[in-house]
Amino acid sequence: MEAKADLDSAYVPSEDVVAREIEGELIIVPLAAGIGDVEDEIYTLNETGRAIWGRLNGSKSLRQVAQELGAEYDSPTEQLEKDVLGFVKELLRRRMLVESPRV
Amino acid sequence: MNPREFDPSLFVKRGEEHPLSGTGLLELMQAVLGKGVPFRFQSKGLSMQPFIREGDVVTVSPLRGAGLRVGDVVAYAALEAERVVVHRVIGRNGRDLLIKGDGNAGADGLIAETQILGRVTRVERDGRKVHLGLGPERWLIARLARSGLLWSYLLPAWQRFCSRTGGPQA
Repeated sequence: MEAKADLDSAYVPSEDVVAREIEGELIIVPLAAGIGDVEDEIYTLNETGRAIWGRLNGSKSLRQVAQELGAEYDSPTEQLEKDVLGFVKELLRRRMLVESPRV
Repeated sequence: MNPREFDPSLFVKRGEEHPLSGTGLLELMQAVLGKGVPFRFQSKGLSMQPFIREGDVVTVSPLRGAGLRVGDVVAYAALEAERVVVHRVIGRNGRDLLIKGDGNAGADGLIAETQILGRVTRVERDGRKVHLGLGPERWLIARLARSGLLWSYLLPAWQRFCSRTGGPQA
C-alpha cells in the first residue's frame, strides 16, 4: 500500500531507525521489533537519496527540499518534486520517516 | 549544477551482503545500544569457540544498570583497535573486568567497565538458539577458562568428541 505524503508537509527520520554515515555511506538500521538488526536488513541510500535524507529535518517542507536541490541538480523543479515525493513515500512505507508536526 | 541524474534510491541489504569494518560495527552498535535497544549481528572470528562460532548470530543487549557477573559474555570496545570484541568475563578487579575469549590461551587483560557496550543475551546458529554458554553454566566456564583448564584440556577433548560423533554441538 502506498504511503501518503504531500509537498507542503515536513518529515523527519523516525525514532525507530538509527542512521550513521560510515565509511562514506549512510547506513540505516531499522529497530524492528525492538532490535537493531544488521543481520536481517539494513538500508543504504545513494548520493541523491542522501541529499534528500540530509534535508529532512522536520522544518522544511518537501517543496522547500526540492527547491534547494534544484540549485544543485540540473533537473526541472516539477521532476525534482515528483522524485522527492516518491522517495519520501518509499521511506514512509518502510517506517523510516514520520511526518513532522511543524513546517 | 550537478550533471548527474537525480535518481534517489534506497537499497535494502542483508547483513552478509554488507560487511562492516570493525569501526563501522562499533559505531552502529554504540548507536543502537545507546537507544536502549539490543543489537543483533553476525560474529566473526574463532576466539569464543566452541560456545560462539564464526557465523553465529549474536544479540548484545544494553546493560540497563544491571551489574555484570563472572561468566557473562560481553561486547566491549577495544580502544587500541577501535573494534568490537565479544569475550567472557572471568574475573574482577575493583571496577575493572578480567576478560578472555573461551578459545584463547591468554586473557585480554583488565577492561574498564566503561568500555563494556553490552551483554550477550542470545546466540543463534543456523537459525536455532544455542543453549550452552550463557546459562548458569557460564560461571563454571569462566572458572575453567581462568584456570587454563578450558583451553588446554577440556576444549580439545570436546572437539575430539564432537568430530567423532558429529555432535552434540555447543
